[in-house]
This record gives sequence, C-alpha cells and structure tokens, in this order.
Amino acid sequence: MRYVEITNSMRKNPLSCIFFLIGLVIILFVVATLFNLIFKTLFLNMEGFRDILNDPAVISSIWLTMYTSFLATLIAMVLGIPLAYVLARHDFFGKQIIESFIDIPVIIPHTVAGIALFSLLMKRGAIGGFFESIGIVFQDSMWGIVAAMLFVSYPFFVNAAKDGFASVNPNLEKVARTLGASQSHAFFHVTLPLSVRHIVSGAIMSWARGVSEFGAVVVIAYYPMIASTLILYRFNTGGLAESQPIAVLLIIMCFITFLAFRLASKKKW
Amino acid sequence: MNKKNMILMISICLLLVAPLFSGCISSDEKEEEPEPVTLKVLHAGSLTSPFEKIEAEFEADYPYVDVQLEPAGSVACVNKIIETGIEADILASADYTLIPSMMMPDYADWYILFASNEMVLTYSENSKYADEIDADNWYDILRRDDVLWAFSNPNLDPCGYRTPMVIQLAEAAYGDDQIFEDLIESYSSIYAEEQSGNYIITTPEDLAPDTDHLTIRDKSVDLVSMVLEGGLDYAWEYISVAVQNGLDYVRLPKSINLSSVAYADDYNKVSVVTCDGKSKSANPIVYGVTVPLNAPNSDVAALFIEYIINEVGQGIFELDGQPPMVPAGVNDIELVPETLKEYLEQI
Repeated sequence: MRYVEITNSMRKNPLSCIFFLIGLVIILFVVATLFNLIFKTLFLNMEGFRDILNDPAVISSIWLTMYTSFLATLIAMVLGIPLAYVLARHDFFGKQIIESFIDIPVIIPHTVAGIALFSLLMKRGAIGGFFESIGIVFQDSMWGIVAAMLFVSYPFFVNAAKDGFASVNPNLEKVARTLGASQSHAFFHVTLPLSVRHIVSGAIMSWARGVSEFGAVVVIAYYPMIASTLILYRFNTGGLAESQPIAVLLIIMCFITFLAFRLASKKKW
Repeated sequence: MNKKNMILMISICLLLVAPLFSGCISSDEKEEEPEPVTLKVLHAGSLTSPFEKIEAEFEADYPYVDVQLEPAGSVACVNKIIETGIEADILASADYTLIPSMMMPDYADWYILFASNEMVLTYSENSKYADEIDADNWYDILRRDDVLWAFSNPNLDPCGYRTPMVIQLAEAAYGDDQIFEDLIESYSSIYAEEQSGNYIITTPEDLAPDTDHLTIRDKSVDLVSMVLEGGLDYAWEYISVAVQNGLDYVRLPKSINLSSVAYADDYNKVSVVTCDGKSKSANPIVYGVTVPLNAPNSDVAALFIEYIINEVGQGIFELDGQPPMVPAGVNDIELVPETLKEYLEQI
C-alpha cells in the first residue's frame, strides 16, 4: 500500500519526479561501484571470501575498526554535546574562530594530521609522555587509532548536534523553566530529547568517518592493523584477489550497522 | 534572487566555465607542440629525492611531458604492474633482482643498473644513547629494554627484508650468535634457520612486532619523520635516505652493509623468504630500472631513462648519497632502446 501512496504523491508533484530521476544518477554511480566490487568477490571469488571469513587476522581487524571508531564516537559525544549546545545557543566573541577550528580536521590532508598527532602523542611527546605515565600508550596501540579517528570524525558529530540544538525553539526551554524546571532539567528533558534525531545521525556519520579513516591512523598506529591498513597490506602482498574480499566484508558489516542505526533512530525516540 | 545570491551564482558559473577557456587558449598557442604525454614512473621510496630532481630537469627540456612519480616499496611497485595490471612507463626498484625474478619474461625483458647504496642505522640527537652508539656496539644498544627501533615491512620493501639480512650477517662479523635471536626473533614472528652454513630467514604475513621495542611501517622513508620527531630512537635506512634527510647514522662494516660487490659471496649465504613464498638472496644493493613491456609511452620512457644514466643523473645521485654506476650496466644490451646504448655496458 505504501508503494501506491508514494507513487500517487509523486504523480501529483512532477517536480519531485524530475528531482528523483536526477538523484537516481548518483545512487546508480555508488551502486555500480559497489556492485562491481561485491559481485566480483561473491560470485567470482567465493573461495577467497570463504577464506577470509575463517581468517582470524581479518575478523579481528574488522572488529577492531568498528570498536575503535565506536569509542572515538563515544568520546566525541561526551565532549561534543556540551560544545554543540553552547555554540547553538550563544553568540560570543571568537565563536566563528572556534567554529572554524572544528571544521579544520575535515580539510587537512590525513597524513599531515597523522604526523601532527604522532609528534604530540608519541611516547616521548608532550601529551603522550603524560599518558604513558598513567598507562595509556598511543604509539602503535588501540588508543592511537581512537585518537586519530576522533580527530578526523568529531566535526561531523559536533556540527550535526549543533544543528539539532539550534532547531529546538529556545522558548520551549523557557517554558520549562517557568514551570519550575532547573536549567539542567530543561536541557536533559526538553532540548536533548528533541534533538536526538540530529545527534544519532551525527553519531552515525562520525562513526562511519572513523571506520573509513586510513591516512592518519597508519602514521600513529600501523599495528594493531585496522581494516583499511590490512586491506592495503594484502593488496600490496597478494593483489586484488586477497584484498577485495576483506573490503567486501567490511562493506557488508558497515551496511548492516548503518541500516540498524537508521531503523532504530526512526523508531519512537 | 537577491544581490548576494546573484554574485554567488555568477562566480560559480565562471568557475565551471573557466577550464573550457583555458583549454582553448593553450591549444591555440601550442599548436605545433607534440601531444601532451603523462609519464607514469613507479619507483622505490628511496629514489624519491633524486627522481624529483631528474623530473625537474626533464620537464624543463620536454615541457609537453608530465612526469608522475609514484613512490612505494619496490615490491609493491612491481606488484602494481604484475598483479593489478596498472600500466606504468617506468619501474625503478631498490633491488634490481626484483626485475628478473618477478617481471621477466612477461612484463620486462631488460634492466639497467644505475646506482648503488648501503644499509645504515639512522638516529637523531634525541635518540637514546646517541652519544654512545658506534659500529662496534650498535647491536648491544638495540638490545636495551628502553630503546625503540624500527625497520620497514620486509614483505613490501627491500629495505625491510635487508634489515634482517644485515642483522644475520652481523652474527658472523661480530662473533656473537645471539644477535639475530635477540633483535629479530624475540621481537617479531620473523625467524631464521641454518642449512649447511646458509641462513634462510622467513617473514610471515603477520609480523607480530613487540611494539614496545620494535616498530614496523610500510616503507623505510615513513620512519624518517618518526626518528626526527624523537618518537623512535633508531631506524634502518639506506645511507642515501639518511643523507637526504639530515639524519645521523652508524656506518657498518662492508662485510654486512650490503654495499660491496667484493663481499657478494658472503652476502649470498643469507636469504629471505617473504610471505608470498618468494626467496630473495642478500645481494649488493644496486638499483635497477626498466620500461615494462606494456608501457603506454615507451619512447618517452627511454628519454627519461637517458636522464637517469647520463651526466645529469650521475651528478644528482652523487649529491644524494647514492653512488651512480658509471657506466650503467645492462643485462642484455641488444634489447635496450637504441638511444641508451652509448651509456651502457653489458654485465
């Protein structure tokens, strides 16, 4: 029934029809690229795909990638939500400078980001030295991966959360305050729930950006190998036949995660 | 549409159309010039500095050629051609033997030897024990628990598989048969087996380095900035890379540093089997270059190789700490392009 409703509503809107057709081009572009990769692997190199499913190095690197990116997103949320709220609600001197700083990681070449992070976080670096004394090592370790992913992915989260908070009418908070809610009560019970769609979508983007990161991670932590490092390594030693199946498995895992989050974020909240 | 939007729209339109105009102008002006050619050069990371200089000289003389340098580990360079089917015009490897062993006869039929190099242990003034280290005690310093040292991935980069070779050769040279076990076997999954006086080193796919002591990266030049930043104490490099980047370095005896043809027989006792199952014997480090048989622009490639082996190239290699071979050697002088023959000597 829903299909009929959609087509009916489209028929009444010829402009939407045209827009849909134009949009289809970019979807086809993505689908064709992925289909080529997935088809080649699943149908022409099924054995190679089965091999990597049984390869503990592959499974642990994909798991590590998803997990470290999850940690990076979590840190981005804890630190980013307060920042996003302040930026959405207040105008102050230097705000634009802060907002520009937030966007910088999106534009810097990732190798440059990696080298900058390395010199700061290496065992003998300014910050890395301190963390080593409390038992956290970044150089060639999981925390180095998290740090690199956080650096490149937090802009996506902060910007989305900022848009979310900005979309909540401040008057709603004021009404809550006049009804006796404290400032933090109003934030947690009014503003935050109303912006949850933006926050979830920002978190998904931030997580996805982390999973796809390679350039910055590989400088600070070549080991333990995340999926993109392992894919390039296998590509260089064993060619496409050994690297493509890993890429396909990563795509499938990410697609499932994406879909799950998108469906979950659609429901209630 | 307000004024601001109007200006924005106009500037976007101008940006979109601009390339068309520039195309018209350049094609009008340079009508007699040959078709622009893009020359794709896959080369060892350690050749980056001299090749950039040769590129500048070459492009000044042949403005219609755009040379695209693509540095990577030498094995990775060869794999791009034979595995991935990338069509490159020139391949230059830090180990000339890769060309006969991996590319011939399907992807190449000749190769030119044009420069040599040697293995050194590099460090910076920030490195631990920098004031102590020398050619007699380096292996004891690398053994120390608080020292962090590095080499590149043996499965991807000849500098990487030459490092365990040097360390294996050091055992005989220094009369200490624990060096390899202490520095390589106890810090990684790489292992050596002795077979009637010869040593076969195996480098598994998963090198599993103990990252508290040993760091591994794709190619040896990736380690340079890490040493300069003070994040690593020591890294194994070619002397050329050390000279070009201003690193301090320990020069090792000729019997182990893989620089001398006179020691070729000693070097040959050690070989490395990389994770693709292929075996590489320790040889004097000599750079090799070839034009792959499927090169799209083999004529222009020959012109570029001329710049590598003529006086221009020789001067550049000399300055960069990679002694040029004069004259350059070739495996089969009958097969090379005619214009190169005057610079070459059959080996």
